[in-house]
Amino acid sequence: MTFTLTQSGDVSIVEVEGQLIVSNRQELKQKVLDALEKGARKVLVDFGRTSYIDSSGLGVLVSLAKKMRELGGDLRLANLNDDLQTLFELTKLDTLFQISESRERALESF
Amino acid sequence: MTGDGASVDRLRREAELATRQLIESWEEINLLYSIGEILGRTVTLSDAAATILREICDTVSAGLGAIYVHDDARGVLHAVAALGAAGEVPPIAVDDDESLVARTFRERHPVIADDATPGAAREAGVRRGAMLAVPVLWTTPQGGVPLGVVTLSAPKARAQFNAGDQKLVAAIASQIGTAIQIDRLVKTSVAQERLAHEMQMAHDLQMRLLPAPSSLAPDAECAARVEPAEHVGGDFYQLFKLGQGRVGVLIGDVSSHGYQAALIMALTMSAMAIHAQAHADPGEALAALRASLADELRETEMYLSICYVVVDPAHGTLRYANAGHPHAFVVRRDGAAERLAATDAPLGLGSNAPAVAQVPWTRGADLLVLFTDGISDARDDAGRVLGEAKVLEVVRARRADAPSRVVDGVFALLEGHMGGGVPADDQAIVVLRS
Repeated sequence: MTFTLTQSGDVSIVEVEGQLIVSNRQELKQKVLDALEKGARKVLVDFGRTSYIDSSGLGVLVSLAKKMRELGGDLRLANLNDDLQTLFELTKLDTLFQISESRERALESF
Repeated sequence: MTGDGASVDRLRREAELATRQLIESWEEINLLYSIGEILGRTVTLSDAAATILREICDTVSAGLGAIYVHDDARGVLHAVAALGAAGEVPPIAVDDDESLVARTFRERHPVIADDATPGAAREAGVRRGAMLAVPVLWTTPQGGVPLGVVTLSAPKARAQFNAGDQKLVAAIASQIGTAIQIDRLVKTSVAQERLAHEMQMAHDLQMRLLPAPSSLAPDAECAARVEPAEHVGGDFYQLFKLGQGRVGVLIGDVSSHGYQAALIMALTMSAMAIHAQAHADPGEALAALRASLADELRETEMYLSICYVVVDPAHGTLRYANAGHPHAFVVRRDGAAERLAATDAPLGLGSNAPAVAQVPWTRGADLLVLFTDGISDARDDAGRVLGEAKVLEVVRARRADAPSRVVDGVFALLEGHMGGGVPADDQAIVVLRS
């Protein structure tokens, strides 16, 4: 389970490899907060290599999204697999995030 | 002289030498023996340390002595025993450059200092003239771990400590290391026992907050089960008799587990007990609940998925408001499972008042099934998720049975899937027929 941070123009991209769960959510949070500290205001979380997100993982995404909005920034999501897409729909969390089907689409949307 | 005579002489000389060595070592042997006795008898570290220190000072003829123990949290060495010291012995910072005690601890090597060797002001109370400082080590397969320092000072009838004193104190220091380690283990064990007891009480208390499914009789037949992943958890359910045969059923899942989640759960249940009776409409009840929890959820960065269902068999309706709860179903007489889809995002995330939806309800035939993701996301040894479909299969197969049989079937499925593994998340299910 790793989080890789890359930069594309003014968008910071965090790729989540494996699972986003209770035991590693703080690591993701810290990574994004560090990016915010350095001035990042557009963050894209890419779930292309993510198999599972538990409820605490969802909680971290929401708390980061709130934090970014307060700072005038934006956190968007991309590349959810079918199961994860269903999870976001079933919990109505799809109404709270802008979700793109690919990294490229997401980058264009910013 | 014959060969026999020479042998006898040699043996006699060896015997004399051994006797002399034994006499010379007697005090040391006696000291080690006493310390073995002390460690066997005493319970507290300070008692053991004080007695050991007295024995050492007597044997080595030192007027002053102290045993310092490392306090990792504060980064200091504090005296657990001091002999001959005037007043309180202050703690010494591990990184104190002037202190002989701190240096001995850091370098894990004994120091023999004479009268002229400078030292720190903080150790002046346990030093008069020469000083011998020896590290207390706890030996593990990975090497020696420093636990503290033994110091002796004010040698009687001589100016300096010698290598023999150092050797003796080093031997005793390892015994003191054992005492310190035992003391730590005992303290940890007592603390763990107390914690385990408190956790069990918290678990019992939380389980008592959950209503008995029989409380809905005779309006409805209900069964429920909650299994927290830790001693306390964040999954819960609530049942309400609303009059005229109507019943309210709520399932909730706080976004984490453990104590914080349990507190949010308790808060939710107490608020909902009021709102369910005050608002006949499930959407209004959840809107009121949202307002009650808003501050708490914002401060704790937590959220909760919650589905509140009001079944009205007399009017053949089921009305519900669902804030982000993914697993809520009505299983019909023919086995069709109809999802009670979320009408809003979980509480603490969305900002709209939860909308209300309505589906038909057939008295005595339909089954309401609410469960949390701890059940559908349970993993087997290989990390494979159980999945919602398998849970629904069991429910369908037992849909004509009593609700308790449905709950038993789901948990049998879970246990078979997890193979005795520890659940990663809380698990809760409520099944109701009305």
